[in-house]
Amino acid sequence: HKCFALVKDVKVFVSTEDNQPYLSIPCSEHKITSAVWGPLGEFVIAGHENGEINQFSAKSGDILKKIKEHTKQINDIQSSVDNTMFITASKDNTAKLFDSTSLDHIKTFRTERPVNSAAISPIMDHVVMGGGQEAMEVTTTSTRIGKFEARFFHAAYEEEFGRVKGHFGPINCVAFHPDGKSYSSGGEDGYVRIHYFDPQYFDFELEV
Amino acid sequence: ITYLTNLSLSAELLDDILREKPQEADGIDSVVVVDNVPQVGPERLEKLKNVIHKIFSKFGKITTEFYPEADGMTKGYIFLEYAAPTQALEAVKNADGYKLDKQHTFRVNLFTDFDKYMNICDEWEAPEKQPFKDFGNMRHWIEDPDCRDQYSVIYEAGERTAIFSNDAKEPIINEERARWTETYVRWSPKGTYLATFHQRGIALWGGEKFKQIQRFSHQGVSLIDFSPCERYVVTFSPLMDTKEDPQAIIIWDILTGQKKRGFHCESSAHWPIFKWSHDGKFFARMSTDTLSIYETPSMGLLDKKSLKINGIKDFSWSPGDNIIAFWVPEDKDIPARVTLMQMPSRQEIRVRNLFNVVDCKLHWQRNGDYLCVKVDRTPKGTQGVVTNFEIFRMREKQVPVDVVEMKESIIAFAWEPNGSKFAVLHGESPRINASFYHVKNNGKIELIKMFDKQQANSIFWSPQGQFMVLAGLRSMNGALAFVDTSDCTLMNIAEHYMASDVEWDPTGRYVVTSVSWWSHKVDNAYWLWTFQGRLLQKNNKDRFCQLLWRPRPPTLLSIDQIKMIKKDLKKYSKIFEQKDRLSQSKASKELVDKRRAMMEEYRNYREAALQNYQEQKNLRLELRGGVDTDELDSNVDDWEEETIEFFINEEIIPLGDL
Repeated sequence: HKCFALVKDVKVFVSTEDNQPYLSIPCSEHKITSAVWGPLGEFVIAGHENGEINQFSAKSGDILKKIKEHTKQINDIQSSVDNTMFITASKDNTAKLFDSTSLDHIKTFRTERPVNSAAISPIMDHVVMGGGQEAMEVTTTSTRIGKFEARFFHAAYEEEFGRVKGHFGPINCVAFHPDGKSYSSGGEDGYVRIHYFDPQYFDFELEV
Repeated sequence: ITYLTNLSLSAELLDDILREKPQEADGIDSVVVVDNVPQVGPERLEKLKNVIHKIFSKFGKITTEFYPEADGMTKGYIFLEYAAPTQALEAVKNADGYKLDKQHTFRVNLFTDFDKYMNICDEWEAPEKQPFKDFGNMRHWIEDPDCRDQYSVIYEAGERTAIFSNDAKEPIINEERARWTETYVRWSPKGTYLATFHQRGIALWGGEKFKQIQRFSHQGVSLIDFSPCERYVVTFSPLMDTKEDPQAIIIWDILTGQKKRGFHCESSAHWPIFKWSHDGKFFARMSTDTLSIYETPSMGLLDKKSLKINGIKDFSWSPGDNIIAFWVPEDKDIPARVTLMQMPSRQEIRVRNLFNVVDCKLHWQRNGDYLCVKVDRTPKGTQGVVTNFEIFRMREKQVPVDVVEMKESIIAFAWEPNGSKFAVLHGESPRINASFYHVKNNGKIELIKMFDKQQANSIFWSPQGQFMVLAGLRSMNGALAFVDTSDCTLMNIAEHYMASDVEWDPTGRYVVTSVSWWSHKVDNAYWLWTFQGRLLQKNNKDRFCQLLWRPRPPTLLSIDQIKMIKKDLKKYSKIFEQKDRLSQSKASKELVDKRRAMMEEYRNYREAALQNYQEQKNLRLELRGGVDTDELDSNVDDWEEETIEFFINEEIIPLGDL
């Protein structure tokens, strides 16, 4: 099976029956597992199943930049609200923060479990991560209720400062509300949870 | 049809055939010489020959015998030829040392051995002097000013081995090497050496920089054991073993690197096969109906012969004295019994008869003050198995024995290492109970306390006594209970999910619980606790396999010196507390500085990115047809605000008379 990144014009997609993509970028070696647009739509940032990250030109489909900071599959990529940076969630138990244009590696957030999804707060120096076991291996972990947690890290210090319990299974997707006052998580258990932050969350500061 | 017209035999085929060629030499390999045979005249020769034949035909078929004579009497030595060399070897192995009567103990040797010994050079050549290898201070780690103990960690599924110094805040790395060992590591009993395993043999490392001290070549080595004095190391390899040259087990001298002796070994199921006396003077092993005790440094059998003990099932050395305890099961109308034997005199100090025995296990207290024999019996007239603990008081005259009867099946038993208490886990899941007993001086054994419904399958005493951890490892999901046995209180109950191992540090201050990759493939980590059960650290390590504390050598302090230090403990406490506070604040300061630097770096990056973003605003407006998408409220005009009212509640509050 060959893998492609397809660029489609949204207006055309919706209005016509002709579903031809505007641009089709083949990638034969390691399939793309997640992708986001660059800040000015000039390139697509794609994460691959081997941990690679590539910048594909949106005009030609050529690779503009490439890096390999993760050792295992990239599960999710999400951009910051201003698209200047993005965070990757990987099966190698880490999430990493990168600059969208230069692909410079800025920060790393470490856990002991595969990270399925990560997001950057629009208003605070925080990132949220969700993950857990692979669905097949869930029975080997603690069967305690609500063990799967969303974890909050300080973006500058790379230190975890909070966890939110509640999901009965691995978390597959996390996202901050655009106003930064709440976040949502969706899990293998079939639930979507929406949490509003209390005042302490906004006042909290690590000892400096 | 094709024919082989040119018969060219390969070298291999030729070898095979040649090997089977009858050789003149074969005959000599099957001959043994027996010395110390009685010298008899012709009238008793027939009888002598019958006796010899009876004894020696046990090992094979005797094809020829020769009784040299001089002056009408046999000379006192004879030659016997067997049908095969293997039979001759059997004769040497089993008949050498055979006592015919008070004056005649046979010495049996292979005829070919005489040849070998005759050819040894008469001139003795002094061995070449080896240059002195200075490995530095082998006890360097003990001199750490903060008294940090070291431990080894194997992780990345065995690819990496590291040595850390233990600090309550976080582990301090001393050394880390890739592929340092191929399977696992072992520390020597006094902590001087770290042993690593390789296909070719084992290596010993030590000193401040963990240089390679010694190497022992033993292809396919899989198990090792050290003598308690660290003079010898025993290696086992299932690969190397031939009848002529037993090499399954080899005993090495650590300092010189010399191979001292090789032994045959049938199965390594109960390693260590050789058990050492506490002072390293003797080592012994058990085989069918036999207990063989060897002495060092000669590596020869004590008194040149093994002990014949019919039915011997198990034995062990006292950890404090050169006394061996062993037991034999019932034999017809002779009851089973446990025997304590003094070495090297072989004097039986104590014998205890036991009735209706199914099985016995020997448990020595670490100083050799007590021996507990766990006896499983089926009392007459019943079907079930009950367990007794027979407690031998080794320090009292004539070694009195007290019995503790247990009503339930035993899961675990452990002596307090340097005290007179023992703990027992008994019962059946989920009703497992933990009982604590005290062996008192007045001849009584008192049950101090029993905790019921415990999630535990293992007992771990602190090496200094008094404190202990009851753990439910593996299938019991890592339940932990920290107990102070001075008053049998539960200090803390905790859990390390799926813990597979518990290891106390040698000082009894810290406990490590760990989840090994060898038993569970996720959450591999080791956690550090205080002896009271307060969790200090969680150390995740990719595919963590094994943690072993480095043992400490015995203290150099006399008992009086220790008493003095304990008396002045308050004075030392003050100094240590001050030191701790200083290092705490230093750590805080370091952390604070680190955080400040990280934040500054991040801020700088964000400022530059933001500036760039603002400079690109026009580009963005262009791309989006003039629509400003930068802020949430950038396009308020596009929004429609709707206010909806819900009726929630009605409350009528009387205002009183106005």
